[in-house]
Amino acid sequence: MISAKGLHKRYEKTVAVDDLSFEVRPGVVTGFLGPNGSGKSTTMRLMLGLDHGGGETLFDGERFTSIRRPMNCVGTLLEAKQFHPTRSARNHLKMLASANGIANARIDRVLDLVGLGPAKRKKPKGYSLGMSQRLGLAQALLGDPHTLMLDEPTNGLDPHGIHWMRDLLKSLAAEGRTIFVSSHLLSEMQLMADELVVIGRGHMIFNGDVDQFVREFTTSTVIVRSPSADAFVSALEAKGASVTKGDDGELVVSEMEIGMVGHLAFTEGIELTELSSRSASLEEAFMSATGAAEQFVAEQPIQTAQTPEGAKNA
Amino acid sequence: MLDALRFEWTRLRTLRSTYWMVGSGLVASAAIPVVLGLAASDEPLHADAVNISVNGGASFVIPFLAVFMAVVGIFATGHEYRHGTIQPTLTALPQRSRLILAKILTVTALTAVATLVSMAINATVVLVFWGEVPGLFDDPVRSALLGYLAYNLIYALVGLGLGLLFRGVPSALVVIFLMPLIIETLFVGLTMVPALEWLASAVKFLPFTAGEELMLTSPANFGPAAPDFDFFDRWASGGVFAVFAALIIGAAWILFKKRDA
Ligand SMILES: Nc1ncnc2c1ncn2[C@@H]1O[C@H](COP(=O)(O)OP(=O)(O)O)[C@@H](O)[C@H]1O
Ligand SMILES: [Mg+2]
Repeated sequence: MISAKGLHKRYEKTVAVDDLSFEVRPGVVTGFLGPNGSGKSTTMRLMLGLDHGGGETLFDGERFTSIRRPMNCVGTLLEAKQFHPTRSARNHLKMLASANGIANARIDRVLDLVGLGPAKRKKPKGYSLGMSQRLGLAQALLGDPHTLMLDEPTNGLDPHGIHWMRDLLKSLAAEGRTIFVSSHLLSEMQLMADELVVIGRGHMIFNGDVDQFVREFTTSTVIVRSPSADAFVSALEAKGASVTKGDDGELVVSEMEIGMVGHLAFTEGIELTELSSRSASLEEAFMSATGAAEQFVAEQPIQTAQTPEGAKNA
Repeated sequence: MLDALRFEWTRLRTLRSTYWMVGSGLVASAAIPVVLGLAASDEPLHADAVNISVNGGASFVIPFLAVFMAVVGIFATGHEYRHGTIQPTLTALPQRSRLILAKILTVTALTAVATLVSMAINATVVLVFWGEVPGLFDDPVRSALLGYLAYNLIYALVGLGLGLLFRGVPSALVVIFLMPLIIETLFVGLTMVPALEWLASAVKFLPFTAGEELMLTSPANFGPAAPDFDFFDRWASGGVFAVFAALIIGAAWILFKKRDA
């Protein structure tokens, strides 16, 4: 169990983390989600006492900096490529292990576990980003800790590696461990996490389970196609729905249940060629939740023909 | 604390540069008595010659071993920042003061051992060429060699402090080479300009110049134009150098506790 209270960090001008409080429960994977620059890494560094700032984080009741031999309790992967280029993977782990009373056999065990067994005596200078992440994960798992904190661990992994990482984290959580893993990709969290902590610009946006996040931040709409669409618009609007026209001539109806739309078509005697509901994908929910809090807003590319993503027939 | 020492010892052992630095220091130091022996083994040995041979030219040419051990000191902290290992290190060993203390102790121990080994090698070389090492265990050579040991330790610790202060390798290297070789030499040179002679009284406070007093068997010779610098005695001059090292390490230590990793 991790409990973070009142985390706060300001760099000269920017407030990177603003009064974040949350709990991370054992037995589930908790995703830490936010766009680039929203303060995920800073929050993790604060939690570990690497950065100095406000607030307090307790790992099973103890501050990280007062845990004796902390790798046996809390495993961490912060940034990729944090090792000396000519010290072999095995020696890198050996160094960290020597500060935590971890046996050599365990080093070989975790290197095999992350698939670096054959490369363990190689210098990490030649490692790809994916291999570096695997070494970082081996480092996190070294002390067989009850709590894992991983900062964007799937960066640089291929799809197979991402799949493997997901399964690994889920099985570790199923063993009763506390897993806190950050990502800027909601689709990834949707597959991996049970709980979410979502931040934008250092502020808490959402804390709860994944389904609840989707419900809270998605507005479902009803799609209608009809030969007499124009007549139907005024009927819908008269009943309080708001209607916009899609690119394809379809009507996008919000603020009215799909059943009510169907009933209205029936009473008005309007022929429908399509009646379906569309709920925004999790990605869209994420965008709408964090959009206002986005740090680096890029120019929108020019829109071309749009296919309605996530549409599902009712 | 034992965990921290184990960590630092493993860190040093698994770094190839440690072997290179110690090896180069030993070889460069041993080269001096070898050259002396080849050139002048038929001349009788006096105290100055014994001292310079055993300390590997440290009090005469360049303190080779001290410089190489200072690089080991710089790497002890500078590498952690240069390669980003400071974060994994602090998640393995989050008690920052213990980490610094362990670094100081391991670098000190390694430097002491390397210096003693180097002196043993060099004394053996002298023995081979001259068949004897006269006055090795008598003053002034004995004190000068103890001073040499102290000099190397302080020099290496200055390196460690600079690496931690600058949080990197290149700037620390620049300072440790620039300061004794250029800045202090320039300062001493300026005192020889008649109008600037008043600077002479400050020379005894130049850390590296004062530190060299530790290793001398006869007064340092700065040339005929040099004014009297009125140095403190051997151990007090060493104290000046030690205070300099302590100030750098102290400042770096305080900043290390305060700064983000
Ligand atoms: N060392 C630093 N100095 C100054 N600003 C920083 C530093 N680290 C992060 N920031 C700023 O803090 C904010 C959060 O960054 P970060 O925690 O890296 O976000 P994330 O990990 O979510 O991408 C950003 O605006 C970033 O520019
Ligand atoms: Mg980040």
